[in-house]
Amino acid sequence: MKSCPLDNLLPEYVKQFTAYVPSKPDRELMKTFGCSRLFRLNNNENPLGPPLAAQEVLRRFPPPKAAVYPSGDCYYLRQRLAELFHKDPEQFLVGNGANEVISFVIKAFCEKGDNIVTGDKTFAVYEWVAQFSGFEARLVPLRDYAFDDEAMLGEVDERTKIVFVCNPNNPTGTYWSTAGMRRFLDAIDGRCIVVIDEAYYEFVEQDDYPDGMSLIDEYPNLVVFRTFSKMYGLAGLRIGYLAGTREVVDVIRRTCIVYSVNALAQEAALAAAGDELHIRNTRDLVRQGKEFLRKELTQLNLPLVVGEGNYLMVKLPMSDTLAYRKLMTKGIMIRTMTGFRFPNHIRVTVSKMEALEAFVEALKAILPC
Amino acid sequence: MKPSFKPEVVLRLRADMTFLPLATAFAEKSAIAFGLEEPEALSLTLAVEEIFVYLSRTACPGGEVRIYSRGGGYFVEIEFLFPAEDFDMKSFNITTKASLDPDADFSETGLLIASRMVEQFRFEEIEQKLRLTLTKAKTYPDHCVPDLPPASPLKGFSIKEAVDPEELKLLVRRINTECAGQVFPEICRAPGLMVDIVAAGDYKVALAVDKMGHIGGGIIWKWEGTGLIECFGPYLFGQPADSTMGSALLDSCIADIARTGAKGLINRFPTPDLPKEYFEPLGSLTFQAGDGEAAELVAYYRHLEEDLGGTVWSHPLLEGFLQHQYRKLFFAREILPVKRAGESCSPFSVLSAEFDRGRNRVTLRPVWWGEDAHFCLADHVETLRRELISSIFFEMDVGKSWQCHFTPALVENGFQPRLILPYAGKGDLVIFQLTTGESRS
Repeated sequence: MKSCPLDNLLPEYVKQFTAYVPSKPDRELMKTFGCSRLFRLNNNENPLGPPLAAQEVLRRFPPPKAAVYPSGDCYYLRQRLAELFHKDPEQFLVGNGANEVISFVIKAFCEKGDNIVTGDKTFAVYEWVAQFSGFEARLVPLRDYAFDDEAMLGEVDERTKIVFVCNPNNPTGTYWSTAGMRRFLDAIDGRCIVVIDEAYYEFVEQDDYPDGMSLIDEYPNLVVFRTFSKMYGLAGLRIGYLAGTREVVDVIRRTCIVYSVNALAQEAALAAAGDELHIRNTRDLVRQGKEFLRKELTQLNLPLVVGEGNYLMVKLPMSDTLAYRKLMTKGIMIRTMTGFRFPNHIRVTVSKMEALEAFVEALKAILPC
Repeated sequence: MKPSFKPEVVLRLRADMTFLPLATAFAEKSAIAFGLEEPEALSLTLAVEEIFVYLSRTACPGGEVRIYSRGGGYFVEIEFLFPAEDFDMKSFNITTKASLDPDADFSETGLLIASRMVEQFRFEEIEQKLRLTLTKAKTYPDHCVPDLPPASPLKGFSIKEAVDPEELKLLVRRINTECAGQVFPEICRAPGLMVDIVAAGDYKVALAVDKMGHIGGGIIWKWEGTGLIECFGPYLFGQPADSTMGSALLDSCIADIARTGAKGLINRFPTPDLPKEYFEPLGSLTFQAGDGEAAELVAYYRHLEEDLGGTVWSHPLLEGFLQHQYRKLFFAREILPVKRAGESCSPFSVLSAEFDRGRNRVTLRPVWWGEDAHFCLADHVETLRRELISSIFFEMDVGKSWQCHFTPALVENGFQPRLILPYAGKGDLVIFQLTTGESRS
C-alpha cells in the first residue's frame, strides 16, 4: 500500500498542531485506574441533570423520530429564545455545542493575516480554533486572575477581527462588571467583533454582572455565546447558541453547518430554556458546595481562586497532573490546570455533597505531608 | 515553539563508487554554504565519504540513496535516507566488520570511523526507511569563564522572553560565574552557541529582569523529539532563598508549552533553585562530569496532560522494575508479559547507535531483534569501550513488544533499568544504563 504524502498536503499551521485527546469513557477509566466508582468533578457538569421538563422530553422521545432529520436551523428553539430574550429569531444561531459556534464566528470573519485577541489563561477553544485555522491568537496575560481590558485594547490592531471575553472567566470565575464591559465596548468602538462567552451566565448572582443579551442593540459588533451544557445539564446532547444583531448573525450563518444539532437536543433545550426553578435549585447547590469547599480547603492551607460559576480553582503544593493520577485511583476526576497555564492548580466542579466530601477526603490523603 | 524550518538541499543517487566525488563535493559545498568553517566542513565531508564508501561497497551496492544537507544555524546535518528492503540491515550495526575492499581495515566499519568525525551520529529505522544522520556542530570561540562580579538580589522582577543576543550572552556568562559548582549542559558554556540556537528557534529562554534590565535569573527549554520538552535551570543569580523567581521562570516555561501538545517536561540537570513541587523524581542517571568523576543526577519529570492510562509489554525480568516505577509514579499501566513460545525468529539483531561525542555518551536503540541479541549487544559494548565512551545507554520502547526480547541480553551485559520516560516512544521508554563495571559477556 502506498503511503499518502501528508507532508506535502498539510498546511504548515496544521502540521504544528497536535490533536486534542479527550479522556476515555468512565467505565474504561475506572478499569484503568482500578476504582469502583467515579465522581466527575472535571467538566463543570450540573449534577442535578437537565430540568425536569427536559428529562420528560428525553424519556418520551419516540424512537422512530430518530429516522427523521431535525430542523436544520433549530426553528422552534430559536422562536423560544427570541421570546425569552425579546429578540427576533433571526438573531440566534444554534450549534452543536458552543464550541461549534466559536468555529462559525472565526470562519466568518477571519482571513489570512488576521488575528484574534483573548486572555492567556482562559477557555482554550478560541485559541485552538484560530491557530488550526491559520490565524494568529494574541494572548493577553490575565491581571489578578481577570481579563486585562487595557492590555487587550493594546493588542487590537487593524487586523484584529474578533476579541473573545469569557465572562465569567473559565477557570478563574472573574468577570467584568456592566460598567467595565461598557467601557471596553466603547473603547473598541465597533472596530472588530467582540464575543462575550457567557457559558456560565445563569450561575452568576452578582448585581453588577452584565447581561450580554441586553447590550446587543446598543453595540452591533457584539456577539454573545450561551450554552445548554452547563446550567441546563444537556452537555451530553451538545447544544449551544450565539446571539447578535440580525446583520451580524446573517453573516455568521453563511459559515454555519445546518443540521448539526440533533432533534433530541433541540427538543430538550426547548423544554429546558428559562426554567427558573431549575436555575434556583442549581444555584443553591453551588452556593452550599462552594461554602463547604472553601471551608475545608482553607483548613488545608490551600490557596483558592473562587469566583462565579460552578467551579473553583485550588493551588496544590504538587504537580496537578500527578494529583490527577492519584485522585483517579480514589475515584475522583478533577481537571488539571496545566493546560490552562495554571501549573499546580486543579479546577473542581461544585457538585453534590457526597462527591465533594469524597473529593476532600481523597485530597487529604494525597497531599504531601 | 517547535523546531523551525531548516534550509535543505538534496541529492538523489545510487550507492556506487562512481558517484563518490559527487557525494563528497555536495557535502562539503553545502556545509560551507550553511555556515561551517572549512575544517568543520572537511570533517563532515570525510564522514560522508566513509558512509558513502561503506554503502557502495558493503551495505547496499547500487541501492538508491538520498542525501539531505540541512543548515541549522549552529550545526549542519547530513542525512542518508534509503528504503530498508534494498539493504542488508545487519550491516548497519556499528560492529559489522565485513568489507569488500581488499585494503580495508577489518577491525572497524565506515560507520564507526564516520562517527568520530562528527558530534552526533544516529542510525534509525522509520517506517520501512533507514536513516543515517550526521551532525557537525559549528565551533565557537573559547568557552565561558567566570568573569562577572557577584549578582545582587533584584528588588522586583518581571519575566520576559530573551531574544536579544547580548542578553543571551550575558545569561551564559552569569551561569558560568554564579553556578560554577553545578553540572550544566554544554549549551550554557558558549555564549555564541546560545545566541545561535535561540535564533534557530530550537531553544527558548526566559529571563527574570528588573526595571533597569538587570538579569536575576533565567530558564532554557527545547523540544526533545515529538512529545517531550527538556528544560535547563532555573538559574538564579544572587537571589534570596525565599525568592519566587524560580517558580515564576518555570511558570513562564510551562505557559509557553502548555498548549503545544507536549506530553512531558523533563529536567536532567536540576539546579538548587528548581521548584521541586512542580516535578516528580523519575530516577537517576550517571554522567561523567568535566573532571572525569561520575555524577549521579536525578531526572525530574512533570507530566503535562491528564494520564489516559495504557498498556505496556514486559519481559519477566523487567516486570518488577516496571511495577515498582508505575506504582511510584501513579501511572496506570496494564503490563502484558512477553515470552517466547518456540517461534522462529531472525538469526541476527540490529542496534542503532546515537553518538554524542560532546558528552562522551552513546545511546543504543533496538532496530531488529534476533537470536544473537546477547552477542550483538556485547559486541557493541566492547566496541564502545574501545572508543572510551563513558556513558552507554539503551532505550527500550515498551509500547513495542519485540523490543522487550532484548531484556535478558541487557541484564547479562551489565545494563540496569534506571528510569521510565512516560509516553516518550510509541509507549513509555525504559532507559537502561551500562553499569561502570565490565560487561558479563
